[in-house]
Amino acid sequence: MKPFRRKGEEVVARLLDAEAGIVGLLLDQLEQLLDADPADTGGDPVMARLLPPGHASDPEIAADFRELTESSLRSDKADDLAMVRATLPPDGGEVRLDADQARAWLRTTNDLRLALGTRLGVTAETEPPELDDSGDGADEAGSQLAVYYWLTAVQGSLIDALAAGRGGRR
Amino acid sequence: MAGPLAPVWTPETTTGEESDLDRPWVTVVWDDPVNLMTYVTFVLQELFGFDEATATQLMLQVHNEGKAIVSSGPRERMEHDTNRLHAYGLWATYQKDA
Repeated sequence: MKPFRRKGEEVVARLLDAEAGIVGLLLDQLEQLLDADPADTGGDPVMARLLPPGHASDPEIAADFRELTESSLRSDKADDLAMVRATLPPDGGEVRLDADQARAWLRTTNDLRLALGTRLGVTAETEPPELDDSGDGADEAGSQLAVYYWLTAVQGSLIDALAAGRGGRR
Repeated sequence: MAGPLAPVWTPETTTGEESDLDRPWVTVVWDDPVNLMTYVTFVLQELFGFDEATATQLMLQVHNEGKAIVSSGPRERMEHDTNRLHAYGLWATYQKDA
């Protein structure tokens, strides 16, 4: 991965073939979660994190808020996801984003990190997994955590590139 | 001189109930282990128009104290702010100011 850099009004990065493939798979999984019947995902901590309650202690207010906002929040997430998919080179290569596309990437990579982080039980103390080049010692959770930290690097570079542009406009 | 189309002026009355309704609501952002500090700062600037120093200060309050109030006002606006923060994946709630 070549991290996001600002180029004029756009931000540009490069993804390897395998990296674009992983993002594509994660998008599919996130889409399935968002499309699932809410009755089936009600107890899922990932959905609770992606569509959080609006009130910390009053269930009635939280229910009213959900009624008011959840369907539009779901469709906004679906729109972001579709925009990321449309700007992702399926076999790797350049990712070039305008301001709106960059925000869709920002929100969707964050949703992917929230979903993965919740599944993996990431805490403030979690550290990146040790690199294992032997090819046989990598466990499933370890490689998922590696994907989480890779997404963190992608999103981090995107934030920096966008923040740099904002500073430059003033 | 008041014509037939002049607005009818109703003096504001303040009862206990009304002053309770006037008590502002607040939007609170809570700390979570996933959202990057640079991301929280960026989103607070993006959604509320804070300058970088103010947004950074609020982000640090979230990080160090576990939560921070990022806006206050009528309930409907706090619902809207909470919704906008949720769209960016921040962990936000609204409540009546204590």
